[in-house]
Amino acid sequence: MNDTEIIEKAKALLGDKVLEVSNPALRRIFMKVDSKDLLKAVQVLKDDLGFAYVATVSGVDVGENYEIIYHFGNAFSQLNLRTQVPKTNPHVESICSVIPGAVLYERELQDMFGLVLDHVPDPRPLVLPDGWPAGNYPLCKDWKYERPPEKIPGGKS
Amino acid sequence: MKFTVPIGPQHPALKEPISLRMTLDGEVIRDVDIRLGYNHRGLEKLAEEKTWLQNIYLTERICGICSHSHSTCYTQGVEKLMEVEPPKRGIYLRFLVAELERVHSHLLWLGVAGHEAGFDTFFMYTWRDREVVMDILEMLSGNRVHYAINTLGGVRRDIDDLQKKKILDSLDTLRRRTEYYLKIGANEPSFVARIAGVGHLSKEDAIALCAVGPTARASDVAQDVRKDDPYGMYAEVPFEVATATTCDVLGRVVVRVKELMQCYNIIEFLLKNLPDGPVTVRAPRRAKPNEVVSRYEAPRGENIHYIRSNGTDKPERLKVRAPTLANYPATVVMLKNGFIADIPLIFAAIDPCICCAERAVTLVNARSGQEKVVLMSELRRQAHERWKKAPLKKDAVWPL
Repeated sequence: MNDTEIIEKAKALLGDKVLEVSNPALRRIFMKVDSKDLLKAVQVLKDDLGFAYVATVSGVDVGENYEIIYHFGNAFSQLNLRTQVPKTNPHVESICSVIPGAVLYERELQDMFGLVLDHVPDPRPLVLPDGWPAGNYPLCKDWKYERPPEKIPGGKS
Repeated sequence: MKFTVPIGPQHPALKEPISLRMTLDGEVIRDVDIRLGYNHRGLEKLAEEKTWLQNIYLTERICGICSHSHSTCYTQGVEKLMEVEPPKRGIYLRFLVAELERVHSHLLWLGVAGHEAGFDTFFMYTWRDREVVMDILEMLSGNRVHYAINTLGGVRRDIDDLQKKKILDSLDTLRRRTEYYLKIGANEPSFVARIAGVGHLSKEDAIALCAVGPTARASDVAQDVRKDDPYGMYAEVPFEVATATTCDVLGRVVVRVKELMQCYNIIEFLLKNLPDGPVTVRAPRRAKPNEVVSRYEAPRGENIHYIRSNGTDKPERLKVRAPTLANYPATVVMLKNGFIADIPLIFAAIDPCICCAERAVTLVNARSGQEKVVLMSELRRQAHERWKKAPLKKDAVWPL
């Protein structure tokens, strides 16, 4: 099954749910869906096209929106499913009900971008330390690290 | 009576400090809870503030064992963004170092597996032979750990005929030694019995939990980026994907030993077919706005970098996923319903960087909340005691 066949089949199965699709290089497919169609698209990719392996989930801050990219792989090709959610309402459905192996990547997104993954099996923070101030999402473009003022024990004030 | 055993965070059985809280029923692990983030260095944020060239050396420092994997994965992605095609000799040399790194990583891991199983002679032998590879790497790149041989558009150092001959000679030694390990493994019933059936991960679980690398291949999932999505010159190199069907630690040992033999063949092929010409071309300082997904088969599994450029000399976004993270959900399944004595061995089986020093484990009595600190060496001693008394698995065979 080559890239063209995969794209044709995905278009046939998902119809107008596929907003954009491109094939910039051999074995690299980029596909865009709306965030409310995400779970359906992942289900179709897994069941009908054999993309059962999620390599990782990347988040990108693109100004008004967050872009989330799910990187799938199988023995023939590599498919990247992207979706966008507005920063004002950053809710997206978890894909763990279809692919349980995605849980750590989705939890990382919650920590790093403040996205809310609905129905993720284990929504605790993953990589940020305990006592991390709420509302600080390090990979947002407007977040800057400020070094806390140094306190010398026993020093002046 | 149920116990909760916290292991870590200062117990990096895996390379990063990690906290595992195990709920025990007697000696059997019933539940495992993983807590990460003790070693989160904010590297992805830092990469957005460094130039394309500086980031090679940053990505190289993600890992101390597979340093070349990360820098190669990043470099080949950025070369695609910059539309630079490295010369063929450069590519061959880049992946020559990559395969040598795989050999040193697998030999290191074999030693650790032997050590955790209580077979320290094996550990001494493999680590002695690993020095042969480390010497080659030092000769090629000047460094033992961070080779820093990659650059945008090729590699930084060329190789001469004398070095080529030296590598081929060393390869003979390594081949002979690896065959000897196969023989030891096959004729050492206590070693096979110790690792057979431990840390079971079924094929269905390995697929559902997106396991990668030798962990997945030991569960009969023939997944290898070098075959599935050939990068560099792997499309023209003959090699086989090593798999095992036993789904346990024994399978993971077998897969790695088989992979070692494949690595020697690949190295020999690369050296004998090394093209002439330059090793590097000039790369631009900026990259047009674009995005790329770069995949690489690191010694421990698939390594994936997602890179997005914005037209400047710095990346817009660099997302790194190292293979160990992908294997954590599978580790939870492996540990469940196993014995507390198998914890070090199962950890060792997914990642080669374990137990270099004494680590403390706190045992908490769930009823009284009383805590007891034991050293990793004590835990290992208890494990050896327990397995000395265990009956030999007579039907366990070395499936090679």
